[in-house]
Amino acid sequence: MGEGMRERLRGPEELERWRERLRRERDPSALLFTVNVRSACGLAAGSEEVAKRLEEEVEGRGLAGRIVRTGCNGFCEKEPVVTVYPDETFYVGVRSEDVPELVEGVEKGKVVDRLLYQDPVTGQRIRKASDLPFYRHQQKLLLSLNGRIDPTRIEDYIAEGGYRALAKALFELTPEQVLEEVKRSGLRGRGGGGFPTGRKWETTRKAPGEPKYVIVNCDEGDPGAFMDRSLMEGNPHSVLEGLIIGAYAIGSHQGFIYVREEYPLAVENIGIAIEQARECGLLGEDILGSGFDFEVEVHRGAGAFVSGESSALMTAIEGRVGEPRPKYIHTAVKGIHDKPSCLNNVETWANVPLIILNGAEWFRKIGTEGSPGTKIFSLVGKVNNTGLVEVPMGITLRKIIFEIGGGIKGGKRFKAVQTGGPSGGVIPEQYLDTPVDFDELTKLGSMMGSGGMIVMDEDTCMVDVARFFIHFLLEESCGKCIPCREGLRVLDRILTDLCLGKGKEEDLKTIEEICEAMAEASLCALGTTAVNPVLTTMRYFGEEYEAHLKGRCPAKVCKALTAYFINPDKCQGCLVCFKNCPTGAIQGEREMVHVIEQEKCIKCGICYAVCPFGAVEKLSPPVAPPATYGIKAKKEVRK
Amino acid sequence: MRYRCVECGNEWEDRGWLSTCSRCGQKVTGVSSFFRGPEHPEKLIQVLLSLQREKGWLSPETLKEVSRKLGVPLSRIYQVATFYKAFSLVPRGRHLLRVCMGTACQIRGSPAILERLRQLLGVEPGQVTADGKFTLETVNCLGCCAMGPVMMVDDQYFGRLKLPQLEKILGSYG
Ligand code: FES
Repeated sequence: MGEGMRERLRGPEELERWRERLRRERDPSALLFTVNVRSACGLAAGSEEVAKRLEEEVEGRGLAGRIVRTGCNGFCEKEPVVTVYPDETFYVGVRSEDVPELVEGVEKGKVVDRLLYQDPVTGQRIRKASDLPFYRHQQKLLLSLNGRIDPTRIEDYIAEGGYRALAKALFELTPEQVLEEVKRSGLRGRGGGGFPTGRKWETTRKAPGEPKYVIVNCDEGDPGAFMDRSLMEGNPHSVLEGLIIGAYAIGSHQGFIYVREEYPLAVENIGIAIEQARECGLLGEDILGSGFDFEVEVHRGAGAFVSGESSALMTAIEGRVGEPRPKYIHTAVKGIHDKPSCLNNVETWANVPLIILNGAEWFRKIGTEGSPGTKIFSLVGKVNNTGLVEVPMGITLRKIIFEIGGGIKGGKRFKAVQTGGPSGGVIPEQYLDTPVDFDELTKLGSMMGSGGMIVMDEDTCMVDVARFFIHFLLEESCGKCIPCREGLRVLDRILTDLCLGKGKEEDLKTIEEICEAMAEASLCALGTTAVNPVLTTMRYFGEEYEAHLKGRCPAKVCKALTAYFINPDKCQGCLVCFKNCPTGAIQGEREMVHVIEQEKCIKCGICYAVCPFGAVEKLSPPVAPPATYGIKAKKEVRK
Repeated sequence: MRYRCVECGNEWEDRGWLSTCSRCGQKVTGVSSFFRGPEHPEKLIQVLLSLQREKGWLSPETLKEVSRKLGVPLSRIYQVATFYKAFSLVPRGRHLLRVCMGTACQIRGSPAILERLRQLLGVEPGQVTADGKFTLETVNCLGCCAMGPVMMVDDQYFGRLKLPQLEKILGSYG
């Protein structure tokens, strides 16, 4: 591949010529392996070892094959994933021990069946990614390059058509025309509220004052959401290209990319992308010889959920404590150093090159009238196929969870799906056929947020979920305004009491009152939306709140309201729980029925998790164990 | 801010992130040895992050030095250092153990994981074990939600954790 020193490109023609050369050098029929190494979850699954082993094996056999370390391709459930080109065989859950067999298969033109994805319903092995139910219903626009290119090589991006949109914007369109195009596309901000992107850009463009700033928000503090991380890791140039185009439209010459420090790989990859883009004359002074200058800096966030809020994020970029400020003046007008600043999230920026390249009309045809385009969701929790899913807006929740997600883990019952993170809410079963877009989710009391989708099954306690979010936000609230600070504190106390079985009848009313006050009077969105998880769980799962008042946790999650017992009929006397119990609460001997001493039990659930016979049972409310539970009896070992 | 590579002495202008030295490829993670030239108070958080990475924690001496070099009052440095989660003003153990308590992990059983770690290590989140080996911390999301429950030991991710696994993982660290 045309590697070596990168040359500065002096115009759109040079970019095109380079692209053609790169494409010519790349033989589409050549042997190629892609491994999803450049993503945190890939690493967690051990993809680097697989890649190394592949390299050894391919070299050892003298094969002319290239190994490309790509970003996440979305199917986190089955990582590490290896795709072999040109015939696109898709191997899942590959361990380094599997590599020799895999490569031997490639050499001999045979497919290793055992490493192919097996459809859990039909039992069939599926060879191509595009035939997997997980991918079949997706429409990958933003993620299309994620699993194909090496994010640390700008050549890969260019060969796939990268920076063509930038060249078009700079040489064929005026800044006004670019702005117009984005406005007409109807693109809405993917970070939370879904504000029209073009309108935001226009505000910054028209706001008085120089310089103007553009910012990428890759803070992604929402637990359960990781689409921004994956895009930033897997295809950083698409974000950068979108940012430069936006800067051109807005009239900005300085940008910031805010990435949270918990995402070291994202920080590294965007850093490399910036460096390479600068080398090629796609960033910095006189971009592509167009006369347009634009510089960008990476700012690592130091971990504070509230920093995701735009005004707080901007003060963080100034090197100060990230506290939000009242919204009556928009950051689009007065942001960083009180200058007009336009902030969009990662996914929003990544949409921009697609819109410029293909036009607003094309974009409007995807998704729904009010929310055009696709949206990336991170589908996690108790669902079979966890991972990143890109779908056109307007698809139903049911389709996402049951067709793409493959349904609920372990054959359990679906209970609710939580969308929008701490600012969103839970959606129960009766709304599964709701089309997903910004407005529909808001109608249900939840929101799109950045796209986290957490699937909950019957083993999830809704009161505990509400408590979890409130506690999370209590810790994250900057404490500047009273409704948020004190409101969260009281909510946290009440919900904790409920989970402890110490709730009082009037608590439910108090919760509602506080929620109302917070939604009304909090300074920033952290406080005003904090009530959503509480209100939606109360609205849809009121009976669980009632049960907690009576000292029962129907899902058997709240520790104070549950107890563990060993069912003597199922216990085989194998001593596994006995050995694993950290507090010595289990009495047992080989082949004798074991017993849990309730006074010593701390309800850690280890016995429940380790028992091979399912003999440990959870009960709520704690009932006195029947007398037989205390009797040690010689058991016949069942053969 | 200017940086200098510890390996080869190559100098370059900081562009807001720290990656590798463009000449020798040495990975640059800390900046204490790289303080050079005119300093920007705006870089405070970035400087603190780098120092934190290099030293594991921010000692009073370190903070004073930063204050002097960046020309930022010590009170503001403390304000920033105590506000953000990434900073630790007390020494940490040799290994940093971060357990994700985010929603996705929560639902897949991270509370039990944390509970078990508390017992195994005999410390509460935020504390260092008696032998100075581990600091136990909780985080809100590591961005590997699909692999939950997740924890990180130093830079290593562990996904799909099961309770019985924990002892062995801890044992593999010196
Ligand atoms: S919720 Fe645990 S990694 Fe995201």
